[in-house]
Amino acid sequence: MPDASDKTESAPAPGIDFKEEDILEAMRAIPGYLDITPGDFKEVYRLAFQHALERLSRDVTAAEIMTTDVVAVKPDTPVAEVAAAMARRGVSGAPVVDAEHKVVGVISEKDFLSRMGVVEPRNFMSLVASCLMTKSCVTLPSESALAEDIMNSPAVTVAPDTPVRAIAARLTQKGINRVAVTDPAGRLLGLVSRRDIVKATMGRVAS
Amino acid sequence: MIGNYFRKMIGATQSPPRVGLAEILWSWLGAFLGIGAVAYINYGWLDATGLLLLIGSLGASAVLIYGAIKSPLAQPRNFLGGHVISALIGVTAFKLLAPHLWLAAALAVAFSVALMHATKTLHPPGGATALIAVISGPQVTNLGYFYALMPVGAGALVMLAVALLVNNLAPRRRYPEFWW
Repeated sequence: MPDASDKTESAPAPGIDFKEEDILEAMRAIPGYLDITPGDFKEVYRLAFQHALERLSRDVTAAEIMTTDVVAVKPDTPVAEVAAAMARRGVSGAPVVDAEHKVVGVISEKDFLSRMGVVEPRNFMSLVASCLMTKSCVTLPSESALAEDIMNSPAVTVAPDTPVRAIAARLTQKGINRVAVTDPAGRLLGLVSRRDIVKATMGRVAS
Repeated sequence: MIGNYFRKMIGATQSPPRVGLAEILWSWLGAFLGIGAVAYINYGWLDATGLLLLIGSLGASAVLIYGAIKSPLAQPRNFLGGHVISALIGVTAFKLLAPHLWLAAALAVAFSVALMHATKTLHPPGGATALIAVISGPQVTNLGYFYALMPVGAGALVMLAVALLVNNLAPRRRYPEFWW
């Protein structure tokens, strides 16, 4: 398979980076003569892994991988409480829901950072950098600010039957880390974060 | 372009590992009993009648069905199908093209490879079976299409029976991987 082995060189296997020694070791563990070269096996593995990933991301939907135990805040929750809730639960984002549990926005770390005078907030390090480079460190959001003042609105939402692949595309395209999953009326069902996607993919492939 | 053409001749990977001693011994035993059975019938019973059961390509098959029993090439579909299809092609090539034996030989093997591929019965010794039908002289060519039944089909069946009996005796072996 000369063509296939050319491809092996240019595109490394996704997931685990196999060495041919690993494959030889595995072949030794199987008694009997295996009628395949380590190079061909590697190529078969690479393509099979790709197919598995594609199949899983095509089949799996938002409803299957979303986190349902979500920290949701109200539009009139003070930002200090929002921050405290996020810190307590160790999350970097929270949906904002109204009285009918409809998603009206999403608050993420970025929204806090941009309120703290960081010019181009990309992550927490933007804050550290601006802290270290200017004498005055940070201007805290005023105590009276509410969730609705700093939230990102409207929120990016998806339906429960949205394929994971489409969610991944949305996340990348919008440069965000999570989407709210809502029913047709816009009520919050759960949250899908990048971490949920990684976890679901790896868990399924491993099992 | 040219550079790549020659680079491909260097190879891209390495040889699979050597099998264990148990595998070597079981392969030996299978080959001994398989060829032994066919040869015993051939020389002990059939010789006097002028019939034939033992042909060279069965020795090649022994390598696969006793020595590389996991290989797709060694499975019953490939083993029986490859031999019988190639035998038919070999006989046909001889009938159509003799006395141009060089062409008959080349076409017999080429069509065998192609047809075994197309029918998912690729079995390397099949090429030899087709060739034998062309180059072996009157003892084989006089058989006509009967050659595909005997020695080819019957010889292969005896070897397959031995493969099923012997390969599955080994605790860590299993044969076949699939039948059809």
